[in-house]
Amino acid sequence: MNKLLIIISGILCYWNVLGQSQKFQVNGAARTYIFANELNIDQEIDSITPRNANYGHSLLDLGFSIFPNKQTEVIGAFRIRNELGGFWGGGVSFNVRQLTLKGVAGNKIRYELGDIDLSASPYTLFNNHEEGAVNENSIFSTRRDVVHYDLFYLNNSWRMQGAKASFSLLSNRIVQSINVESFLTRQNPSNMLDQAERLFGGFTVNVIKDKHLNLSIHSVNLFDLSQTITIDHSRYNNSANSLALNYLINKKDNSTSSLKMESGFSTSRYFQTQSPDTKTNIGDWFYDFSYKYKLLKHNITLGYKDVGSDYRAPGAQTKRMNFARSPALYQQISNAFIPRAASPFDFIYGNTQNSYKIDPLLMYFNPVYGNLSPYGMATPNRRGIYIDYTNNGKKIVRESFCKLNMLGESRGNGTNAKRNFIQLSSGTDFYINEWIKMAKILKLNIGWQYEVTTRDGADFEQINLSSSLLDAGLSYQIAGDMFLLLGLKSWSAKGNEFIQSRDDFNRIVDFESIQINAQESSVASGLQYNFNTRNSLSLVYELYALENKIEGNINYGISQFNLLFNLYF
Amino acid sequence: MEYPSLTYYLIYTSRMKKYVFIWIILMFFAGCRKDDSANFEGPDLNDLYGPFSIMTDLELPNQFDFSTGGSIAFSLEISKQTNWVIEITGQSSGAKRIIQGKERIISADNASWKGGADQFPSFGLESAIVSISFPEEEGAITLYDTIEIKGLKIDDGILITSFESGMGTNWNVFNQTTTSGGINCNSGMAAKGQCSYVWDGLVPWDWAVGSVMIKPDSTNFGLPSNANNLFFNMAVKFISNIGTTNSFIQFWFDEDDNGDGVFDEDSEDRFIYEYWYKDSNWQLVSINYADLMYDEDGEPRQLNGNSLPEPSKLIGINVFFLANKDNPERSKAEVDHIIFTTNQSYKP
Repeated sequence: MNKLLIIISGILCYWNVLGQSQKFQVNGAARTYIFANELNIDQEIDSITPRNANYGHSLLDLGFSIFPNKQTEVIGAFRIRNELGGFWGGGVSFNVRQLTLKGVAGNKIRYELGDIDLSASPYTLFNNHEEGAVNENSIFSTRRDVVHYDLFYLNNSWRMQGAKASFSLLSNRIVQSINVESFLTRQNPSNMLDQAERLFGGFTVNVIKDKHLNLSIHSVNLFDLSQTITIDHSRYNNSANSLALNYLINKKDNSTSSLKMESGFSTSRYFQTQSPDTKTNIGDWFYDFSYKYKLLKHNITLGYKDVGSDYRAPGAQTKRMNFARSPALYQQISNAFIPRAASPFDFIYGNTQNSYKIDPLLMYFNPVYGNLSPYGMATPNRRGIYIDYTNNGKKIVRESFCKLNMLGESRGNGTNAKRNFIQLSSGTDFYINEWIKMAKILKLNIGWQYEVTTRDGADFEQINLSSSLLDAGLSYQIAGDMFLLLGLKSWSAKGNEFIQSRDDFNRIVDFESIQINAQESSVASGLQYNFNTRNSLSLVYELYALENKIEGNINYGISQFNLLFNLYF
Repeated sequence: MEYPSLTYYLIYTSRMKKYVFIWIILMFFAGCRKDDSANFEGPDLNDLYGPFSIMTDLELPNQFDFSTGGSIAFSLEISKQTNWVIEITGQSSGAKRIIQGKERIISADNASWKGGADQFPSFGLESAIVSISFPEEEGAITLYDTIEIKGLKIDDGILITSFESGMGTNWNVFNQTTTSGGINCNSGMAAKGQCSYVWDGLVPWDWAVGSVMIKPDSTNFGLPSNANNLFFNMAVKFISNIGTTNSFIQFWFDEDDNGDGVFDEDSEDRFIYEYWYKDSNWQLVSINYADLMYDEDGEPRQLNGNSLPEPSKLIGINVFFLANKDNPERSKAEVDHIIFTTNQSYKP
């Protein structure tokens, strides 16, 4: 181990010297993350689960960009991770985090091979944000960003392994430019038994007519390869395609108006030779029109969308967080070993099971945290209007927004009666120091989301579920780059809903009627020292509590002390 | 400042026409959406969580003659899709027929009765009690009715004997000295009809209790030549000296391979099959005739003839009752209704 460290140190010194040249760059990240958790639960309910769970790690991500020539770049990123308590090699892991080869062929075609980040439109390929954050304080977001960094959840793109190529056609008198991008990635290797090799490929053609008109065609396809398992007894194919148009209607000194449209269709085919009756072909389509008007710092968007109930675009509908799986921390609680349900609290600290590949099934979700669009904008079976307002103020009140979504189902679930959804979310950053003319930063951030789901009909099919999330925090600049942070997240939900169960062919096969009356809260306080905008050291104490008022459900809490040193270079 | 309009790129040039065009596009998309108001996704919530009620009356005939080949169709409508069980019980025979389903509408498509039972005993000319219950619906009533059976269903197959007409002219009977073996028409508990063949006796020196060799009145039983889709069926009931290792029936199927009208044990095929005790109720023994050529290990038997099951050459069926001699109790068993069927086992 000593020899290994000496060799690594030597290589790093050499690379550091070498990296000064134009042919070599070094970047990466370093982190130390330490947790001390305590489960707060009634001794009569749970006398088994160990109350304290302490763990942590230190890691170093080393990324190297090598430029063998002017048109080629080789990127390699390696992670060395040492678990807290590991000593002289115990608990140390060494992994390859990224290997990418990129370059330009013949000064025309840009290509990337290996680990690539992909996204298209919100209806075809898009990594939607997880639930549980509305303008949250940095006491939470700094930790959430760690999870996003680890899982490559950056800029709504999915990290995949494959190849990407893009090129631009020269402009002419008709169009300003045409940009073409295509990709092919591998989602699943074959297990040689019952899981065929699955690929994900597609392309985007972007036509820029001029500064007023921008047209894009997106096509993404998830498909199984035949003859990659012993007997081709099952196959899945999905294709999602859309045409997006951005049209700048008017632009004046203080105002802009634009029109945005996207419409498309999907086809999905499931085939299982062993049960021919399970062969299903479904297809549907969507459209989304919005008008945006910008006047000074005010932006307002008014839109209407209709996503068909059988519209399937796994690339845009895969959820980040798998609510069907229990979080790693305190996976089971109570003397009956009841699996603990995942909550957005767990996502902040990376306790949940998260998606790292495209899931062809519509994943389980918890309506408490978001029922209106659990699968992002491409959530099937939703239609209605949406209004967004943002205010990019620069003084006391900054980054204000207000969103209203009023959607309904186009096809009922288990009944001809249809659910209606209303979601109102709003938030702002309020710089109190600007208001009271104080030199040190004192910022109050508030976010609030309220959602109502209703369905009329007979007694047994009625739904009335309301939920709200209050996301608030206070940041106070104690001195220099040292900040005192306070954060509060409060979820509450009351009412009833029906939880859907889907089979391997994405068909709803059951509804579980649930009653909800619960309150969740996370209160956090801590100190954070910012070395710069991306690097910080913070010490946080957080208290999470779940109060479930439905008889038979378990109330518990988790108190956590964590230390995070986060460095990007 | 002049800006080019969207319609300029498409067709139109005036601003008014541009908005009209956009509006037309919007209406086009909105109008193209299929109307799903009459459909819904997933199972019906009414079936899962709706209240249960019986919507129509149960209407059944007071009497029915199954000998004409007809069937009774049940008709009932309930408020939701839930499990239902129709149970038909013969008042005298104790025969049972159970029909189950989960449809909201009970009709000839999912619930009809041709007069048969699920297993032996079969229905006789008797009164049958019909009940319809809904086991998953708490507090749901059970519907009852009765049907008088005026004619029995016609068996689809080649009947060898149901012991209703007494002993055949060529039959051979063997009984131990302490065994009474013969046709009994007085028990009222036959598998089908009134009569069955019964052995009853204490035989502490030998497993063999008694047997009956059933032979055709003419040269053979008139069976088809194809053994692959032919099934031998018989009703068996073990009554005393029972147990999975204590009593069994042994069948001998004697074939006249050389066609001289006589079975020669040394030069012709005798296929032997054993059926051991399973429980004390009437059991249906059903054997695919072609399977007789294999032993318990699935290996082809080497017999004294051509070793091929040829039902058209069958000239004797010996039904042999054997029971544990070391068990100090009387051995008693009953058999009934020997019938060959094609393509499937006999339906009592």
